[in-house]
Amino acid sequence: MLRIYQRLWHVNWAEQWQYRANLLMYLLFWLVSPIVYLAVWTTIAGAQGSINGLTANDFATYYLTLLIVDNLTSDITIHLLAYKIQDGTLSGELLKPIHPIITGTLTNNLAFKALTLLVLIPVWLVLCLLFQPDFSGVTLFNVLLAVPAVALGFGIAFFIGASITCVAFWTTRVYSLNELYYAVVVLFSGQFVPLDIMPPLIQNIAQYLPFQLLKYFPIQLILGKLPPEVIARNLALDVIWFVAAALLFRWIWRNGVKRFSAVGA
Amino acid sequence: MIETESLQVQSLSKTYQVPEREPGLGAAVRSFFKRKTKDVEAVNQVSFTVRSGEIVGFLGPNGAGKTTTLKMLSGLLHPTAGSARVLGFTPWERKPDFLRAITLVMGQRNRLSWDIPAADSLLLHQAIYRLSDADYKKTLAELDELLELGPILRKPVRTLSLGERMKCELAAGLLHRPQVLFLDEPTIGLDLTAQARIRTFLKEYNRRTQATILLTSHYMADVTALCERIVIIHHGKLKYDGGLNDLSRRVAPVKLIGVALPSGQPADLSRYGTLLPNENNDGKYLVQVPAAEVAAITARLLSDLPVHDLTIEDPPIEAVIESAFNEQVPA
Repeated sequence: MLRIYQRLWHVNWAEQWQYRANLLMYLLFWLVSPIVYLAVWTTIAGAQGSINGLTANDFATYYLTLLIVDNLTSDITIHLLAYKIQDGTLSGELLKPIHPIITGTLTNNLAFKALTLLVLIPVWLVLCLLFQPDFSGVTLFNVLLAVPAVALGFGIAFFIGASITCVAFWTTRVYSLNELYYAVVVLFSGQFVPLDIMPPLIQNIAQYLPFQLLKYFPIQLILGKLPPEVIARNLALDVIWFVAAALLFRWIWRNGVKRFSAVGA
Repeated sequence: MIETESLQVQSLSKTYQVPEREPGLGAAVRSFFKRKTKDVEAVNQVSFTVRSGEIVGFLGPNGAGKTTTLKMLSGLLHPTAGSARVLGFTPWERKPDFLRAITLVMGQRNRLSWDIPAADSLLLHQAIYRLSDADYKKTLAELDELLELGPILRKPVRTLSLGERMKCELAAGLLHRPQVLFLDEPTIGLDLTAQARIRTFLKEYNRRTQATILLTSHYMADVTALCERIVIIHHGKLKYDGGLNDLSRRVAPVKLIGVALPSGQPADLSRYGTLLPNENNDGKYLVQVPAAEVAAITARLLSDLPVHDLTIEDPPIEAVIESAFNEQVPA
């Protein structure tokens, strides 16, 4: 089994190298919005002293940590798989005695992360030089705690993303659904602004939803901003949402493949 | 009990629901509210069995239901009715042990990743099918020898020619030494040399591994070279199941009499039988006659005309299969 993942990794890595120009464009696009927010909010907070209790340094450390966490927890399954469901090339994958998503797509996701990190890290270091953030709140213990949080966060994103992708078994409009999903994630995950400066109602709803587990929670955990009880509660939520997302995926995948094989693969 | 039958297909049927609407805006609006569908019977009550090690040609015109049947037998499609056992498995349950024992090769695409050399995809296949390094090397060497893969394995697949790609697809599809091969048009689009190579390969592979092969092809040369037995379907229904050689006897019990006359001698031979165009350019007239009357007609020809040379032949298999597509074959 390990060998399957290792070889898949090799193949996916090689494939993505073939598209390194595309990848670079995508990455630049993806880097733009956090960097713009970083610049805007640190300037405003610097001028006003603080916003909702957040200082310029709080914003700088938040967005810089976000750049890394976002890379680690985001999922690209829909771009890897939806078209294969739509044009029928999924057939080729279904003939192989492995699960096309839990092996193939998962490894492809990880290879993509590794490759984007190669570009991201130098950019990140340059940004640190520019903004001079103070990361003194970060402890090794918090970083270690963030490892399971990030892993489960990615797991949740992966299974939700894969479930949305599987809607392609029923409709060709799956990309619109993904746009909607992205909007919800932006609102509740802390991707554009830290949840602290969102209206209290949204903050209240967000704390129970899985989306803040992808970005806001791991970031605040790393930065040492959370009391132990909040950390414990969020880690428990991580496990619950991970299991729920995995079950959702299992259900929708089984029915989707059944439908795929009923209407003509 | 050892199963000697690799494939058992029993009343297998597949009905597709196809959306249907009239052209025009009004119809488009109506179909938005009430979608009309039409049932299309792609495969209708097809039954046959295939013994282990047999090569069977699965023939029929376009849209006859061949690919649908192959997809059901390889587990990609659920049938609407009927049952099938492949090596004792129900295909559409897609158990890993089943998937490891079969292969489906369809046209040019499927198993290989487009952007990287086939050799990398093959290494991945080794892991997926859990092949030991020794088995992998041995099979790959054998495939290399039979298909003459050589350097094409190390080029990105998208840079390969059609024939080279097909060879790589076959290699990827056979690396795990499947016991049952479903081949959908394995030689389509290839030049004559490449077609011949793939045919020789399949025959040799079958001889060495005793694999069962069910193959569709529009090239009769594939069929005559590989298959002793053929199954014909048309409009989803089984038309013929039996020996290739028996087909001509059953479907069209006719013979072709070739008659050479002294040059310049005009003759109307249509009163002896159906005059066919002769593509051999050997100056012979070709007369198709009922097989039962071949002796009598030959005698009349010889007594009526100053015959130079006379031959009696079976009609070409292409013509026989063609006519089998279109009429009910007596069993």
